[in-house]
Amino acid sequence: MKVRSSTLARCFWRSLFIQATWNRRGLQNLGFAYCIEPALRDLYPDPEAHREALRRHIGFFNCHPYTAAAILGGAIFHEARTAEGTEPPTASLAYKQTLQGPLAALGDGFFWTALRPLFGALAALGALVIGWPAIVAALVLYNLIHLVLRIGLFRDGYLKGDAMIGDIARLSLPLVAERLRAAGAVLCGLSGGLLLARGVGHFSIVPAAIAAGAAALGYWALGRGARLLPTMYAVILAVTSLALVASRWYGSS
Amino acid sequence: MERRGFLQAMLSRPIALAPMAGLVLGDLHAGLMLAPPLELLWLGSVTLGAAVPAQESLGTVSITGAAVLAGRSLGTGVTPAICVLALVIAAPMALIGRRVDWLGEWTNEQLAKRAAERIEGRNASGAVQLNLWGLVLPFAIGVALAPIGAGIGALAIPAILQHQSSLPWLHTHPAALEHALSAAWLGFTLFSCGAGARALRSKRAQTLFVGALVAGVILFSLRGLRP
Repeated sequence: MKVRSSTLARCFWRSLFIQATWNRRGLQNLGFAYCIEPALRDLYPDPEAHREALRRHIGFFNCHPYTAAAILGGAIFHEARTAEGTEPPTASLAYKQTLQGPLAALGDGFFWTALRPLFGALAALGALVIGWPAIVAALVLYNLIHLVLRIGLFRDGYLKGDAMIGDIARLSLPLVAERLRAAGAVLCGLSGGLLLARGVGHFSIVPAAIAAGAAALGYWALGRGARLLPTMYAVILAVTSLALVASRWYGSS
Repeated sequence: MERRGFLQAMLSRPIALAPMAGLVLGDLHAGLMLAPPLELLWLGSVTLGAAVPAQESLGTVSITGAAVLAGRSLGTGVTPAICVLALVIAAPMALIGRRVDWLGEWTNEQLAKRAAERIEGRNASGAVQLNLWGLVLPFAIGVALAPIGAGIGALAIPAILQHQSSLPWLHTHPAALEHALSAAWLGFTLFSCGAGARALRSKRAQTLFVGALVAGVILFSLRGLRP
């Protein structure tokens, strides 16, 4: 049994809201039921069968919001077969339960800790060098990549079901993610270099050295497990105090 | 809302939100000044599993709002000294936002329970529409809290900078505090780059960061020396 293209488009659109009611008990449970509901309405015209299918999908579910699209597509694939009578009603649940953990880890590792930080660092460096057009360009490019992957995962899941796993594996996302993180670190370093070069040009050597020294200590402290905001306050307080002392002793600013 | 509940297209990240907030308040330049270091500072602020990170969106809007309003009140526009004071005063809004996120998770749980009950009723399709109500609280809280953070900064920053010469130590150097705060802004922006590199949990990240920093200083210093 096929699901109409317009219904699939509606399911995908709804997948953009999958985390709207993220909660600690069911995580994305209501979100997933909301996403798959239009397809279930098509597949199960009988109200009781439709209700039963919805009950199946309001149970615990958690995945990365982008890679969840693959599971949504695959769950519709299995529900279509259940509606035809060729698979038991538990097939889509087994599919969700098997894949949600691995795809969550894959999505977190690739999108949240690699691709998005890379584009954040790229946009930051671009903004320092060029200005707002660099931010717009970085955001457009990021969303082009993210949406192409999100739509592709949904489509692949719906068309191939379990066979979609091979396609995801071929993308070698963990390997790509490690390279993206390395590139992100380079961009952070270049931003630091630019700011330091500008700072040395703007200030006399004493306050610039104080600022660089305090930032380096803060960086070291973060590596030792210090918390972000307290360390930031310590850096600001240290630079302000030492620069005040320096200005009193040397009349330097 | 975009941060967690809808789309996740980086529009709620500091790099996008600070310029947007600046533009709305009539000072795009201020937003562009704050956006890069705030983005790098909170580069690691991501929702992994059930972890609830600091609410960088609320922090960003509050900081930008405080800086723009204070700069307007002082008639100087946004300066590095104003930026660093806005940061010190309004950054805790990011932690308050995290607490609010916990509250949002509780209300979402109630919505999910209610939807599960309503599925048993006549309108099963309508029950799942409750999902969209999960967007309301983050929106309402953002609208309510961001002006508070910005307002506190807008009142406190002019008071500090206008009365700096009456502070002990500073009466002989009236602009010393402003200069010291400008240096602190430089310290903060450099620190934010390091925080960004730390957030990239890569084995080679630290070596690459330091190497690129040195290369960047040389490259940009040479570019600056060009006629």
